[in-house]
Amino acid sequence: MAPSLGYFILWLSLIFAILQFIISFKKDTSNISKFHKIAVIGLLLSTFFSFFSLMYSHIVSDFSVLNVFQNSHTTKPLLYRISGVWGNHEGSMLLWILVLSVVNYWIYKLYNETNSIFVSKTLQIQAFIIIGFLLFILTTSNPFERILPPPANGLGFNPILQDPALAIHPPLLYFGYVGFSAAFSLSIATMHLGKNSEIPWYKYMKTFVVAAWTFLTAGTALGSLWAYYELGWGGWWFWDPVENAALMPWLIGTALLHSLITVERKKTLQTWVLLLAILAFLLSVIGTFLVRSGILTSVHAFALDPARGVYILSFVALLGVYSLTLFAFKAKNFLHKGYFIFLSREGSIFVNNLFMVIVCASVFFGTTYPLFVEIFSQNRISVGEPYFNSTVIPIMIPAILVMGIGPVLSWGKQNNKNTAQQILISLFLTILITIIFFLCYRGFSFYGLIGIFLSLWIICNVFVTIFFAIKKDSNKNILSPIGFFKHFNSMIISHIGVGLLILGITGSSVWQEENITRMKVNDETTINNYNIVFKEIKKVIGPNYYALEGNFWVYNKKNIVITVLKPQNRIYTITKNTTSEVSIHTNLLRDLYIVLGDGDINEGWVVRIYNNPLVIWIWIGVLIIFSGGLLALKNNLKFLRQNN
Amino acid sequence: MQKKLFIFPLIIFLCILLVFSYFLIIKRDPSELPSALINKKAPMFKTTSLFDDETILAEEIFGHETIIVNFFSTWCIPCRAEHSFIEKLSKDKNIKVIGVNYKDDSQKTIAWLEELGNPYAVIAVDMNGSIGLDWGVYGLPETFIVNKNSVITYKQVGPITKKIYSKFYQKVQESYK
Repeated sequence: MAPSLGYFILWLSLIFAILQFIISFKKDTSNISKFHKIAVIGLLLSTFFSFFSLMYSHIVSDFSVLNVFQNSHTTKPLLYRISGVWGNHEGSMLLWILVLSVVNYWIYKLYNETNSIFVSKTLQIQAFIIIGFLLFILTTSNPFERILPPPANGLGFNPILQDPALAIHPPLLYFGYVGFSAAFSLSIATMHLGKNSEIPWYKYMKTFVVAAWTFLTAGTALGSLWAYYELGWGGWWFWDPVENAALMPWLIGTALLHSLITVERKKTLQTWVLLLAILAFLLSVIGTFLVRSGILTSVHAFALDPARGVYILSFVALLGVYSLTLFAFKAKNFLHKGYFIFLSREGSIFVNNLFMVIVCASVFFGTTYPLFVEIFSQNRISVGEPYFNSTVIPIMIPAILVMGIGPVLSWGKQNNKNTAQQILISLFLTILITIIFFLCYRGFSFYGLIGIFLSLWIICNVFVTIFFAIKKDSNKNILSPIGFFKHFNSMIISHIGVGLLILGITGSSVWQEENITRMKVNDETTINNYNIVFKEIKKVIGPNYYALEGNFWVYNKKNIVITVLKPQNRIYTITKNTTSEVSIHTNLLRDLYIVLGDGDINEGWVVRIYNNPLVIWIWIGVLIIFSGGLLALKNNLKFLRQNN
Repeated sequence: MQKKLFIFPLIIFLCILLVFSYFLIIKRDPSELPSALINKKAPMFKTTSLFDDETILAEEIFGHETIIVNFFSTWCIPCRAEHSFIEKLSKDKNIKVIGVNYKDDSQKTIAWLEELGNPYAVIAVDMNGSIGLDWGVYGLPETFIVNKNSVITYKQVGPITKKIYSKFYQKVQESYK
């Protein structure tokens, strides 16, 4: 019953979306918002019900639904039955549509007395996007397809996807991607209406972009965290096409976010913002295309189907050609005649914008390069880590240097003496702390030096900025904590987060130590300053798997046990998958990471041990960036509420 | 001038679209490229072995039996995908599979092989890619069939997948003649 109903309601939501599209053609806009209310809320409710009927089928294990049969099993824990809904292609597309309808509803909430033409146009574009995805799911990826007679049990769910981080990773990521759809629609509507309207389109857009960027950041980081502890490869980023598909909109989103702040303050860069808003969403959809059409090889195994590829590509083509043609003709209306000062906050933002676009272009090129090579030479190749590291890092270094200076510079014309003074102070601090860091922590390494310097450069600049801001507005007590926290705005917080993120990236990639060895019980080995003893191995039985679990006692220099690590080799009885569960001991300075490989009692087991310095700062950094983003979102929403 | 630049995003986008649609339209069989090296003597090389730093001389390996030369790397994701088929090939007693570890970190490779299994009789290290250059390798993975007269009879570009395996194996058997 539930699946048939879900399928029926999905068609109903298509009708609501078409309705929403048509309403915008109405000439008389005086009460258009009332008509739109029916379509928008109808769409929201119908996609909501459709999504939850699929979820219900998963929860009650209704194996007459092909999607449930292929991805679930009665022994699967409840949490993963729920997350299993979006752990596959069809269900994740349905989630995508649900998120689109939620964002659509928020656009509808922008309606007020003065902007009805603008919002109605935006809703029309948004409706077009929703129709596109609804037709995609209904024609190529129906999640409610039935099999009769229903099988007794399901095929099971890929066990490495049974993980809490991965359960919430797709919803966050989709909020990111889909949030950019709103920026896209707003950009098109703005260009249609021309410059003369008094609508603060960039303020509307900023709210959606802040939300999208914040959730995309968190979603990508969770995926990365999962890869780190679940795949057992010792690293957290592999330049896989799927990772790049999230990174590219993120880079453009970062540029867009900062340019929007500039538009808000100085009214310049409007054309640039309109273009970035288009690109961010196009890249989100192109990423989906690359991953699901099967034209690139990826470790993310989505079911591949050429028909889907053709559909998504045609849809991207339609969106892209329409929006970029519009841009080609209308963009000139948004050129700002004002004087642009390069040595200023907006100057630094613009320079960094260019860096972000270049990085994005080189990631895009690296991801699709194998395709280009294939056209000209009929060869199929893989461009891996060496390419990305050697193209992305050199562009990121100047970008981060500029990023450090940004907060110190003021908008428009500078007080040069004051600025130079601040930059010199933070440069001095950065060098000083870098030297101290190298003296007490580790030996010399060129990349390590650059990484640590850049990380500190950002953090020191931020603190110097706060210090001078406090000094400026009160001469009383500079060190009072209230004054200090008053200046902690979203920019300051996020920049500190980025500084810590760079610290973590540097530590884990420059100073990673690896020890791969074959060990029998009671053997010992060392890594860094730790002595690791393989105490025992035993069989463990879990809810839907059994496992071999190794016990490794970790001794420090003073021969005191600091932890016992218990990596496992799991065999999932239903899907017959084997996975290795990493065991990690974390502190602020390093992660000890052990993976149990193949082996037996006579030969011993292959054990991989990593010492990954400073990894935790990656996750702390992202968490801080995320909180900065949430704070910015709160402020933006507050502004919108006050003005509507 | 500046206004004319606004058409550029559209042009770039159209070019990208063209490439993507090309891939969807053609029936893609990413293998079977006649290489300049086919029916020529296999280029010789001298390098070290992955596991023990011992010298490997190509002259000593080639010329006795059919040799499969597989260029692989840990950073190459398709290599991971084809690994089980390389393993399947290595079960054939009539041939010997040797691996060339192309532009890679030896420690990582050892870990990779520990994880996936080692089907190679010998693994030659090609740290700077010079062997790859001699053999005309564009990108990974690539697999060559060299018969017992040290002549390259076939070159497979891209991973040996389920679809390609039987055809490839047929080429291997032809090289016995």
